[in-house]
Amino acid sequence: MKILIAVSSKKYSKPTLRVGMNVARAFNASTTIVDVGKKINEFSMKDVVLAQERVENWNIDRPGVDVLEWAFEYLAENSFIEKNDIDSGFPKNTLVDTGSNRSEVYLKGTVCDNVNLIIRNGNVIDELKDEVEKFSYNVTIIGGSQRGNMSHDLIQYIDSSIFVVNNFDLNKNYKILIAVNDSPNNRKAIKYGIRIAQAFDVPVEAITVSETDHLKDGYKSAVKWCEKLLRRSNISYNHKFLTGNAPRVINREASDNSIIVMGSSTKNPILKFIAGSKPLEVMKNCNCPILIVK
Amino acid sequence: MAFLSNKAISEILYWVTRKKWLIISFLLSISLFYFPSPEGLSSEGHRTLIIVLIVLILIMSESIPLPAVAILILIMQVILGVDTPDGVASTFMSDAVFFIMGSLMLAVSIVSQGLDKRLALGIINITGNKTWRIVVGFISISAILSSFIGEHTVAAMMLPVALSLIKNSGLPLDRSTQLSSLLLFSIAYGCAIGSIGTPSGGGRNVIMIGYLSEFGFGNISYVKWMLYTYPLLLLEIPFASLVLWFSFTPKQKQLDSAIRKLKVNVAKSGKLNGNQITAILLFILVFLGWIFLSPLIGLGIVALSGVFLYLVFGLIDWKEISHNTNWGVILLFGAAISLGIQMKQTGAALWVAETALINLDVIFQDVTIVRWFVSVFLTGILTNLLSNAATVAVLGPIVLDMGGNPMIIGIATSVASAFAYLTIVASPTCMIIHSTGLIKSRDYLKAGWKLFIISIILLLLVSYLYWPLLR
Repeated sequence: MKILIAVSSKKYSKPTLRVGMNVARAFNASTTIVDVGKKINEFSMKDVVLAQERVENWNIDRPGVDVLEWAFEYLAENSFIEKNDIDSGFPKNTLVDTGSNRSEVYLKGTVCDNVNLIIRNGNVIDELKDEVEKFSYNVTIIGGSQRGNMSHDLIQYIDSSIFVVNNFDLNKNYKILIAVNDSPNNRKAIKYGIRIAQAFDVPVEAITVSETDHLKDGYKSAVKWCEKLLRRSNISYNHKFLTGNAPRVINREASDNSIIVMGSSTKNPILKFIAGSKPLEVMKNCNCPILIVK
Repeated sequence: MAFLSNKAISEILYWVTRKKWLIISFLLSISLFYFPSPEGLSSEGHRTLIIVLIVLILIMSESIPLPAVAILILIMQVILGVDTPDGVASTFMSDAVFFIMGSLMLAVSIVSQGLDKRLALGIINITGNKTWRIVVGFISISAILSSFIGEHTVAAMMLPVALSLIKNSGLPLDRSTQLSSLLLFSIAYGCAIGSIGTPSGGGRNVIMIGYLSEFGFGNISYVKWMLYTYPLLLLEIPFASLVLWFSFTPKQKQLDSAIRKLKVNVAKSGKLNGNQITAILLFILVFLGWIFLSPLIGLGIVALSGVFLYLVFGLIDWKEISHNTNWGVILLFGAAISLGIQMKQTGAALWVAETALINLDVIFQDVTIVRWFVSVFLTGILTNLLSNAATVAVLGPIVLDMGGNPMIIGIATSVASAFAYLTIVASPTCMIIHSTGLIKSRDYLKAGWKLFIISIILLLLVSYLYWPLLR
């Protein structure tokens, strides 16, 4: 399991980092924390690199290093990395340029094999897509402030599950809201939801939304499978059948202290591109964290 | 689409959304190709203008890499029958391209000598610790240096000095403040102002000199260019200082502690070493070469001679030059100049110039002012959207075909291409200060529009009152 956590600033990314590292702990996942900096146009690329080299020569960090340093301090405080790494401090001098506007620091993790810190420069979607493709991440975690108008591109183009840490309050008691249906990705979504509920020690609320009062067979077997898994995992849960338009009902049921977990759509990408999808509709309109599982 | 997996379809959709401007420009070029040539425009000229339009779209949209745009220009010239492969090849390489290549390599060689700390000491010794004096010092030094060694070189050396002052003033380096905007824009605008001062201030000046000579409008020497433009450079410094000061007035009116810390930091680096002294002497040699030898061997060959000397004296190794030189930009400018020459040879430039003038004649009575206004204003706007050298490469042949005094129109166009104050992409120096994360996009407009208008007024005054005296 590999997790990619996208952070952008010390000020706004604390919840994203905290949630991300707890998810990493739940899955014992190898984790990479990435800061995507400003896009530099090609005309000026080499000039900017030259200028940044001079700046570093004056012992002034280039943009992004401060964000990684802050992430390192968080990892150290919460013992996500090994003591040796903590004792030697943030190794900014070992920030290795791996090409394509990407620099990386390797750290040895405690709850997972390794925790990498990287800086990239460019368009957020392009950079995350490239990172996910090259290093095969299973889940990409991104802050809600970065969601903006990117919901569509995140779901459409990033080839991993997407967790948007939207309006996450560190002091709130959350519940996991799992949407149960007969889509192919739903079983994986249920498993992820339960693992996260265990990691955060929070209850699960499973909902099944049907457009009519008549429940399809596929839905019935999905509910049965979900309840069996929830019982076995020994966490507090309840399950509701609801009727209506699924995205609207899910958004209505989700309160500020919910973490929505649902499977991604398996519709043809062209249809999704033109008409959207249920997960996209939920993501665009919800005010709480949401995990779309692919 | 049944034979494609969902992942493959997603990839195709991603490519289409990211390359939409490439697709649009491709479709546009096909439709325009089958459009009948307008009256007065040859079919070769018609096809050349199609290439120009495609190139402008592709550069502005950044939908494909710059070297790919350069290669496309060359391919399209041959495929659309504008010129033969040998003809395209011969217009691709010129002294202007040698100069751009040489100056980019010289920039790498000079920046890597670590002269920035000596520069910092020099500036603060002159300015003292008052913020307004530091700002005037930053603008003046950036302008004067960049007039000789190119704006990106100076910006790379000045940036750490400004960041050091900001950091040592106790301000954060992760968010914008009035002081950070003030100091960083002093560098960017200072460099832009300075780049008009001599032919070596920017590749675009050499491109214009190349066009003037190639199209038979006359040769202009290094010193003659300075006589035309340096007074304007000096005039612009106080205006830029005032505009920046009143746009970003900082709370810190004095930077005592920051200056003290900077002095301590610089003192640690010791005196000038042998390599640094040799690097300075070699650059002086190059400068003298530009003044005295360029009429004989060209500005580009002098710049390349400088690179040769830096390599021979072991001041830099080839690997570093090769790694830090933007070869894509060199390719693009070579291709853009080639396209510019084709615009002239096919009559496309003349057709665009005449069409613009005929239409504007209806509105304005005085054709001289129309000519001046079109070339300067269009260049100023396009330079902020495109890139200054690419603007001159594309617009140069058009403005020179507008009639009037080509020397005045040509130099005015080249000068206007330095008014890169309004956007991040306008010039490498704007991008360098933007890359610090301390400048907001809207800050470029905040001070930039004022300086843009002032610069145009000053250029108008200089070109109408002073330049005619030089003839």
